[in-house]
Amino acid sequence: MKRYPVFRFLLSILLFCTAGQISLCHAQASGAASSNVHVAHSDRLALIRERGAIIVGVKTDYAPYGMLNSAGMPVGFEHDLAEDIAKRLGVKLRKVSVTGSNRLQKLQDGTVDLVLATTGDTAERRKIATMIEPGYYASGVTLFMRPDTPIKNWTDTRGKPVCATQGSYFNRAMQQRYLMDLQMYNNDRDAKLAVRDGRCVGYLFDDTAINNDLANPEWKGYKALLPATLNNPWAIAISMKERGTEFEQLLGDIVADWHRSGFLEEREKSWGIPPSKFLSQTDALWQKTDDDGQPYCRRLSDGHWRAECRNQVFLTSADVGGLAQFGLWLNETTGIDLTPVYDSFDRAQFLHGLIVTFYLTFLCIVCSLMFGWIGAVCGESGHFLLAPVARCVATLGRMTPPLLSIYLIFFGLGSVLNKAFGISLPAFAVAVGCLSAYAGSGIMNALLVAAATHRLQHPDFHLRFTNIWQLARLASGSITASLINVSKATMMASVIAVPELLSATTTIIAERGNVGVMMNVLLLIFLGIVFAVVGMLRYLEQKMLTRVA
Amino acid sequence: MGAHEIFRQLLTWTPYLLGGFAMNILISVVAMLVGTGIGWALAALSLSTHRWRGRIGLVLTKFSRSMPTIVLQFYLAFMLPGEILLPFSKTIVNFPVWIKASLALAIAVAGFASDNLTIAMEEWKKGNHHAAFIFIPSWTTYALIIVMASSTASIIGVSELLSRCNTVINATGDTQLMLPIYLYACLFFFCFCYPLTMLMKKISKTLAKRLVPQSQR
Repeated sequence: MKRYPVFRFLLSILLFCTAGQISLCHAQASGAASSNVHVAHSDRLALIRERGAIIVGVKTDYAPYGMLNSAGMPVGFEHDLAEDIAKRLGVKLRKVSVTGSNRLQKLQDGTVDLVLATTGDTAERRKIATMIEPGYYASGVTLFMRPDTPIKNWTDTRGKPVCATQGSYFNRAMQQRYLMDLQMYNNDRDAKLAVRDGRCVGYLFDDTAINNDLANPEWKGYKALLPATLNNPWAIAISMKERGTEFEQLLGDIVADWHRSGFLEEREKSWGIPPSKFLSQTDALWQKTDDDGQPYCRRLSDGHWRAECRNQVFLTSADVGGLAQFGLWLNETTGIDLTPVYDSFDRAQFLHGLIVTFYLTFLCIVCSLMFGWIGAVCGESGHFLLAPVARCVATLGRMTPPLLSIYLIFFGLGSVLNKAFGISLPAFAVAVGCLSAYAGSGIMNALLVAAATHRLQHPDFHLRFTNIWQLARLASGSITASLINVSKATMMASVIAVPELLSATTTIIAERGNVGVMMNVLLLIFLGIVFAVVGMLRYLEQKMLTRVA
Repeated sequence: MGAHEIFRQLLTWTPYLLGGFAMNILISVVAMLVGTGIGWALAALSLSTHRWRGRIGLVLTKFSRSMPTIVLQFYLAFMLPGEILLPFSKTIVNFPVWIKASLALAIAVAGFASDNLTIAMEEWKKGNHHAAFIFIPSWTTYALIIVMASSTASIIGVSELLSRCNTVINATGDTQLMLPIYLYACLFFFCFCYPLTMLMKKISKTLAKRLVPQSQR
């Protein structure tokens, strides 16, 4: 017993030290950044030189710009560009695979030095990252559709389910313009499979990527008939803090040189990409010289390129709703950027997410209970087939991670069913089913164990639908624990585009970059939900136990 | 594509997938160790006779128990830096994303461990040493839950079994492989968890047998 206080003391010291150290680093980093805002020195560039390597966020799911080759190595058009940057800086290249939804966060949290990942240059993104001018490529948005699609023009998509990936700059604009019912997937592959299985009329994405998919025999007969819209240049992105530093200048000069030397067109050709109009026009512009032999596109005294050579197309979609004033006031005075408070679009998305989460939690609890109860009765039935099958399900169900079973049923079984019978499984039902099966087999197991324990004193006891109350005292603890666990796991549904709260929040973050605020709000809300569920379940448990007694 | 071809594909990718599963185990082991350590500290704090310390311990336990792991994983992945420049030196410490996933799981473990250790420590103090040992089987059961939960790390980009399955499907471009490869992944989990569960049942039984006479003595 004597050891405890000493141990406690040591541990608290340890905890304090680590916490202190982390906050110290933060303070140091931000302090250093703000002290040389005016020009020149770049902390990031110093860090890159210090470690002798540049960490670049690249895509591996966007052939041929960034993909895995047959040996599993990441390659592509953008990977060649990243290599060229590393070569020019004289450092090694370290690649980190990023996705459309996490690339700007990785930039903000400092995991990567720069992002070269098909990032469109938009006004929204300029608020959360520094976009290097000029852009090195460009794309517009189109719709990837099944061969038998009835859609002829953009207005036909009104009110229809359309698949999309989180973090694309055009999602919001297209949703507002054509009132599509956007279903957000985590990645490109899942969204295209959803189109194939008929879950949505098409996949809203960059025309560059879609044209490449159409050339793939796997997608033979698929179409992208709608004219590309919202054309937008792609830019290298670096951290917000690096605006106006030598790092930004250096990268801008490199991209300018790519345009002037024809490097980009040469790389484009070598990857078999059809020539881009943007690239030929931009290259011509940057190769132009003034009468005195100076390049036409050159930096002016303020460090920016001359206006004619800068990115012209910016998207803005800051529509403002009812609570706007309070939200904006909060943002201005405290820096807390609670977009759902002042932006009606974000608010609708967030509230919808909240409702879906409530609904999901409720259904999961009810279905888990039913699953466990019916399963346990089957397991106890003594039937020659039913009983062993039920017991087997209880064991297997507990040993399959629910996320894996969601993938297995939704994509694995879903694609087989669609091919054979043309059925597409509804995402919401799959999520509820898989989560309930996991929690339900835990409950089933608890009931079976309780029944066995009960039999020690009542040898002829067999669990039936009616006599379950006899096990209440023995099993209620673990049943409640299972139900609490399932209510803590509902956000797994986000991986198959169920628009619940986590999915809504990451979509807002991907667009707004208000990571800190939104994550804190999300955590608090989920804590609240779990506390409420725990309270309710414990109340019901107590009530039931007193009734039984 | 015939069954033969599917088996050949699965066999080819087995080492890669096994590497992913090793990551699941690593995440789980780190989470269990760190979490149990924190849980112990919380339990000791909860049992403190000092009024405030006891209360703080209980509140912290309650919070860590109620934190949804997936949200916490996102939280840590977004909010913690990827590498830390140690103060007063030029050393850069990497903070890989799998550690963030482990830490998120460790918080849940801490809540569990603190709860159960509080009971075990009280029993131990009373001299019911055998009752304190009940902590061990429930700890192992919880370890299995954590192994199951480790697959959620794929959502924040850890290259574990599930995300490697998706990588393979992407790399081969073969959607017919989907159902077999996910089933294969289920088999990995089953082969790991089933023997462990059986072993635990056995240990629990022997423990119970050994402890009952001791308590009657």
